[in-house]
Amino acid sequence: MTLQRDPQHLERKALLRFADFRDKRVLEVGCGEGRLTWLYADSAHHVTAFDPDLDALRVARTDRPVRLESRVALTGASARHLPFPHEKFDIAILAWSL
Amino acid sequence: MVHALDEIRRVLVPAGVLIDLRPLEARWPVEVASGTSTVEVGRLTDLPVAIADDEAATRAMQEAEMRGWFIREREEFFSYVYSWDTPSEMKEFMEDEWEGFEKLEESVYQSAQSAWAVANADARVQVRVKMLITRWKKSN
Repeated sequence: MTLQRDPQHLERKALLRFADFRDKRVLEVGCGEGRLTWLYADSAHHVTAFDPDLDALRVARTDRPVRLESRVALTGASARHLPFPHEKFDIAILAWSL
Repeated sequence: MVHALDEIRRVLVPAGVLIDLRPLEARWPVEVASGTSTVEVGRLTDLPVAIADDEAATRAMQEAEMRGWFIREREEFFSYVYSWDTPSEMKEFMEDEWEGFEKLEESVYQSAQSAWAVANADARVQVRVKMLITRWKKSN
């Protein structure tokens, strides 16, 4: 399979145009295998990315670049009941998940 | 979905930002592209489940806006491509990954094969996906 997805990186560019991630605490809703997470996480202070699909999370944990291990936390959760305190994040991303 | 948006609102700081990034069903074009040209050979068929998902997502955001949870600040449409070396690889991907959401009609597949067969050696087949990105601000 020779799939190229978004070879011009237009999705990443749009994301970075719409949000300034510098020094921000980011919550990513529905991170799946982390494809989108790796596109912006370098800019953020910290990213908490979650998904109810544990198989996808397993792939995300495997694919997570070493440089992002301390910056990106991956967890299993449902958006219906977020296991986080009030006002913890500066930015939330619905990543193909609404 | 609305409950999830309320949860997201709860965990965002005052004036926090919500980015909604998602594909929109729009009978995505199937194209054959080489270094010198891009030719549309047909369009995918949106299946009812995908259309219903789109509508539900839009309704949920409208509801959140109506309840005063978020203020829409900025919105853009853009598109990008999924690209394969050959039409058969495209078809295989769609059957594996997009089954139930998008359908590649046989006539469109055959058009892609025909156009690809006579195109330059570097030609690839691609689907142009329509995307929506919206920035919302948590209202206080």
